[in-house]
Amino acid sequence: MGTLVEMKGVVKKFPGVTALKDISFDIQSGEVHVLLGENGAGKSTLMKILSGVYQPTEGKIIIGDKEFSKLTPKDSYECGISVIYQELSVINELSIQENLFVGKLPMKKLGPVSVVDYAEMNKRAKELLAKIGLNRDPKTLVEDISVSEKQQVEIAKALAADSKVIVMDEPTASLTNKEVEHLFDVVRALKKEGKGIVFISHKLAEIKEIGDRVSVLKDGAYVGTKQVSEVTVDDLVTMMVGRTVQNTYQHEDAPDSYENEEVIFEVRNLSRKDGKVKDVSFKLHKGEIVGFSGLVGSGRSEMMNSIFGAEPKASGEVFIKGEKVNIKSPYSAIKHGLAMVTENRRETGFFHNFDIKQNISILPFIKASTLGGAGGLTNSKYEKTCSEEQKKSLNIKCYSVDQGITELSGGNQQKVILGKWLAADSQIIIFDEPTKGIDIGSKSEIYALMRKLADEGKGVLVVSSELTELLAVCDTIHVFREGEIVKTFPHKEATEENIIKASTADIA
Amino acid sequence: MSEKIKQVKPKEKVTFNMIWQKYGTFGILVILLILLAVMKPGIFFSTDTITQILSQSSVNILIAMGEFFAILIAGIDLSVGSVVALTGMVSAQMMVAGINPLLAILVGIIFGGFLGFINGLLINVTGLHPFIITLGTMSIFRGITLIISNSSAVFGFPKSFTSFISYKVFDLLPIVAIIAILVAVILSFLTKKTKVGRNIYALGGNKESAWYSGINVNMHTLIVFIISGICAGIAGIVLIGRVGSAEPAAATGFETYAIAASIIGGTSFFGGKGKIFGVVMGGLIIGVINYGLNILAVPSVWQQVVMGLLIIGSVALDRFVARKK
Repeated sequence: MGTLVEMKGVVKKFPGVTALKDISFDIQSGEVHVLLGENGAGKSTLMKILSGVYQPTEGKIIIGDKEFSKLTPKDSYECGISVIYQELSVINELSIQENLFVGKLPMKKLGPVSVVDYAEMNKRAKELLAKIGLNRDPKTLVEDISVSEKQQVEIAKALAADSKVIVMDEPTASLTNKEVEHLFDVVRALKKEGKGIVFISHKLAEIKEIGDRVSVLKDGAYVGTKQVSEVTVDDLVTMMVGRTVQNTYQHEDAPDSYENEEVIFEVRNLSRKDGKVKDVSFKLHKGEIVGFSGLVGSGRSEMMNSIFGAEPKASGEVFIKGEKVNIKSPYSAIKHGLAMVTENRRETGFFHNFDIKQNISILPFIKASTLGGAGGLTNSKYEKTCSEEQKKSLNIKCYSVDQGITELSGGNQQKVILGKWLAADSQIIIFDEPTKGIDIGSKSEIYALMRKLADEGKGVLVVSSELTELLAVCDTIHVFREGEIVKTFPHKEATEENIIKASTADIA
Repeated sequence: MSEKIKQVKPKEKVTFNMIWQKYGTFGILVILLILLAVMKPGIFFSTDTITQILSQSSVNILIAMGEFFAILIAGIDLSVGSVVALTGMVSAQMMVAGINPLLAILVGIIFGGFLGFINGLLINVTGLHPFIITLGTMSIFRGITLIISNSSAVFGFPKSFTSFISYKVFDLLPIVAIIAILVAVILSFLTKKTKVGRNIYALGGNKESAWYSGINVNMHTLIVFIISGICAGIAGIVLIGRVGSAEPAAATGFETYAIAASIIGGTSFFGGKGKIFGVVMGGLIIGVINYGLNILAVPSVWQQVVMGLLIIGSVALDRFVARKK
């Protein structure tokens, strides 16, 4: 027994944001140390510092008897640290055994040349798989095995590297109950061997079952470390939620319920073929901001994509101001006045090859076009005036609308994307993770803007994994779990505790 | 106040890099012409030189302008050479059969557009990369050309057609160059002033963003390949008129020159960036190189080697200059 890793006073600053503030964290031999916190609390950043992906701005990392001010991925690997990310990093095209020894294949001499010793590799792979209870031929291609088996391969890979510390980032997120049990058996076996396990999870019940100690992070700050046996689930929730939210963007005189207001947008019985959304209905009233909470993959974004016509829906009806609309593609959604600020700016938001004015004007051009978007002429004068207008009203910081969008900060890029939808005079605006990776200043500007839009009578729908964000801006919050709305909270009843409880099945 | 100052455009120094980005390809063309004039003094005293370069480049420029759109959406059209041969062959057979040349030309061009439509349709339906689809249709279209022509050349066009194609305005400007310029003007307008043009750039820049912005990705992919097919169709007719016959093996490998012209002209292989004017310059550069190698009596076996080196060299030079700050 003893301390395997100690991180002291770690600070990580990104341009405009401090992601970690003076965090201390240690990992003991033979324990499961749970790292708990909401999305964006800094858990992943801390682990990326341990694995050498990020370099800390301040602080030190002590591994065994060596002290580092920063680690490279190679240092981290050589010190016996393995990280199993949520998005598994196994190579599908290779066999299990090749995955286990990738980068350090057992070799043998064949005359003057070194060649891969497949017999040795197979023998060692069999031992490792037996150890973690994975009943597969090591020669099986990884693409042919299930997600939970891939995860076990990752664990075996960590063992093959003789790692002392294994970090598991939300390992149970995509596993069935039975698979989770098996995983826990493996984790217990590893503990017995004296390995240190860092276990990142949202599922509080699991933490009680598998954890020895738990450390909580909140908004990049260290909240505390407790023995799991000495805390209750409620204690953990309180630690995660911590202080109350400072800023709110709801009106003080907001009604308890918007039921008496006009319904400007309604979805009835929406389902998807892939089962990611099941029979969802909700209403949006004039002046109201409606938020959607839930774990990643609970169906919120999928529902929005189906409403917007970007992905197919199996059944369900959409009404705008009481009128039933048939939306088959984003084009028809836009024609009906819908807008969607997507989750990934770079991938689904802007055009890197366009300047600011082209990024903004594309939408009004499309909306006013004929022939399914292709008909009509562009107008350079309008392009200039409409983008200047958005630049001014959204306070986009740039020296000219002729500037390339990639030169702007994340917050300003997001404003440009907002600008394109507002330039097209959109009436119902869907925000999917609107402030992901955005600095705090721009965040509050965007919150204020959402409220302004709602006050103007426009519909605002928000999907977010940041509870503080939903609590700050929404009048009504629907909680998603496994494709369904399981709970709805008016703003006054919504708390982080309530929402977390509702979105994690095991403690509801 | 301080906010205002921050937003003022930083005073831009006119750097070599900026000039290069704007006029680089034009510069290469001028340098090549000067080089030619130095190596073969007196060459430009005959108007024939210009006429020759223009009429030789026209076919490639026409094909390249269509290819440009395929590359603009981060795709490629490898079938253009085969489309040139097939449309040329179809028009030739119609003319030889006594059908009005004008009608034969029109059918040829529309047929080119139809072949492009097939490419686009296959890409949309299968979801495969245009490289694979057009690699296949390159072979299919060539095969059909061989089948319908019985693997032999077709000639004996009406005089009205051949003399029209070889006509020179003021004995200087070949009609084929005028056709190419006309197409260039139309396509330049399409890229700069129309919504469909803007959408194609958007699609090339980011397919997903384009979809979420309401752009019908499949329809625009179809449009792009139809344009490419029509351009190749026009080139096919110009080619049979210039040569005086339709050869089943005509235009073999022309896709390489079309791609080269686009890339030399500054079209990004990753999509979303490029200009028709650049493509025309790229086509002329290749034309001048070709002409120069002939006039300097470089043995034909070496011409291909030199051509390849010059293509790599000019693009590498462009990247090298662009990367230097």
